[in-house]
Amino acid sequence: MASRPAIDWGAAVRTPEFQELVRAKRRWVVGACAFFFTWYFGFVLLAGYAESFMGRSIYQGFTVGYALALSQFAMTWFLCAWYLRKASREWDPLRDRARRRALELSRPGTDSSPMGISRPSGNGAVEHEEVAR
Amino acid sequence: MTVLAAVNQTALGAFGIVLAVTLLITFWASRRTRTATDFWAAGRGISAPQNGLAIAGDYMSAASFLGIGGLIFLFGFDGFLYAVGFIVAFLTVLFLLAERMRNSGKFTIADTLAFRLRQGPARTAAALGTLSVVAFYLIAQMVGAGVLIQALVGIDFSLAVIITGAFMLCYVVFGGMLATTWVQIVKAVLMLATGVALTVLVLNRIGWNPVDLFNRAVDKSPKGHKFLEPGLRFTNPIDTVSLGIGLVLGTAGLPHILMRFFTVPDAKAARKSVMWATALIGSFYLMTIALGLGARAILGSGGEAAAGKGGNLAVPVLAQELGGGAGTTGGDLVLAIVAAVAFATILAVVAGLVISASGAVAHDVWSNVVRRGRDSEREEVWVAKIAAFAIGAVAIGVAIVGGAGLNVSFMVGLAFAVAASANFPSLLLALTWRRFNTAGAVTGVLIGVISSVGLILLSPTVWPGPDSQGSPFALENPAIVSVPLGFIGCWLGTMLGRSEDGERSFDELRVRSELGLGAEEPTAAGPASRDPRPTREEEPAVPAGAR
Repeated sequence: MASRPAIDWGAAVRTPEFQELVRAKRRWVVGACAFFFTWYFGFVLLAGYAESFMGRSIYQGFTVGYALALSQFAMTWFLCAWYLRKASREWDPLRDRARRRALELSRPGTDSSPMGISRPSGNGAVEHEEVAR
Repeated sequence: MTVLAAVNQTALGAFGIVLAVTLLITFWASRRTRTATDFWAAGRGISAPQNGLAIAGDYMSAASFLGIGGLIFLFGFDGFLYAVGFIVAFLTVLFLLAERMRNSGKFTIADTLAFRLRQGPARTAAALGTLSVVAFYLIAQMVGAGVLIQALVGIDFSLAVIITGAFMLCYVVFGGMLATTWVQIVKAVLMLATGVALTVLVLNRIGWNPVDLFNRAVDKSPKGHKFLEPGLRFTNPIDTVSLGIGLVLGTAGLPHILMRFFTVPDAKAARKSVMWATALIGSFYLMTIALGLGARAILGSGGEAAAGKGGNLAVPVLAQELGGGAGTTGGDLVLAIVAAVAFATILAVVAGLVISASGAVAHDVWSNVVRRGRDSEREEVWVAKIAAFAIGAVAIGVAIVGGAGLNVSFMVGLAFAVAASANFPSLLLALTWRRFNTAGAVTGVLIGVISSVGLILLSPTVWPGPDSQGSPFALENPAIVSVPLGFIGCWLGTMLGRSEDGERSFDELRVRSELGLGAEEPTAAGPASRDPRPTREEEPAVPAGAR
């Protein structure tokens, strides 16, 4: 094991900043997962049990089944884009805040080794740290 | 394939170009690959769009390029079910794993899975999961390569397998992840370009109305309107659901795909690369509708003999027809291009598989279990190269001995089932369940591997021969049973094992995976230092207060 970073992990988890980030992310991800599982497995169940419904034409021979299949593609792209938007607009700022808070909680004096985690620099970015193998 | 024998020379030329380009890439990459981070993670200097292309190149095997189009040609709607599962699966990867893996891991899925567990048993279990998936997937791809090249170019099966294996090993051993990544990028570009070109040719042939494609395909199908309905391939609805579970959760357990997230500079680039990958992969799968239905509409039932048993040659035969037909210069040229792209497709996938397996052997088992982290980085990379060589040699051997008789789609299905049942439950629980412990990881992976492999052996595909009746397990796809068993295994092991206070805590894993504190940085020696990193520039890491 290489050097251990000087962060108090338990305290970092208990900070309101970390809890807010985790809750915000979980709320969205659980909802999105529930939606895509329902939409996808609903489609698969229809493919399994409602064969003639899936073969019904909705436009000049283009069928319900293919329309629903294409909706899965649209859903995937839409949810991906939504996740990325959420992440950069809402979760990244929350994360940066929780990160600075966690670094403030670092135990003083233990990060003197050159391999240890560096203090937040002027712009708040974490520089580097050797991760234990 | 007498129709195809005439193209030997053109196809060989196209193969030669593909091989020459990939060798140049490997030579370039070999001079930039020194450290373990270079070898397994390309110095973490791959940008998000590059990684998105590479994921597409890593993920879409010949089973996607030729297989799905062929299945649509043969079975209509049921063939397209595979494509839908393959694309939706990326939501599981993005929502649950991509960023957390990048933040908490180094080279392999075991880095995350075993993060806070006892290294010896947990890493060994994770390596077992990785190697099982890779074994089935790799052998499937090698057999596929042999069959395809034999049919399309006329090179003998064994020789084709050996050539594929030799080039795969060359990329991995000399060029590491950097060469593998660029081979995958080149292949993805070639494959997408070929897909677009063939789609345009199909639409041109039927008069630019996509809806006509459906009607013409129905007219040419002996099944009539049933061709557009589900049920021609999967007669048991539970089997269809089971296939869906395997595809959607299996992707999130494929070691060679998850490993790609370690090649980007940070978690932001990881999630952006998934966006790129879904855009590219989804576009290709949409085109498989045009290829599959187009093959049915244009070739009709007459194409079935030429398309082969699994329909794998339907797309090449369609390409030949679109180029002008068998025996014409245009037809031969288009067929040769499709054959060469199929070859590049297989090379890119097998290289990705072998490099992930080398990580499991060298980084997980050798470095962290046998040597307990006391080895040098140099030694780790050497062991990785030896491991890659050994794995490649075994895969070549099994593919040749098993021969063309091994069922390719069955092996790929098995790889997804093992990934969904063994790797996915333990990875997810390691990241989310505080109580999860080493015993849970070990039992979960073991039960996942044993149940998925065991149920496939008992399924109608294998027991006691293909398409037999009266097998003990009625489903072709085991995931609906084996995935819950994998989760139960994790839970049972956790409850029976003792809770442990490892050197690293669950809190540390959570903070690191969510915040990216202490995440692996791109190395100075990697390409990142030379290339500007667009992902960083677009979203400068300013603190929230400054926005």
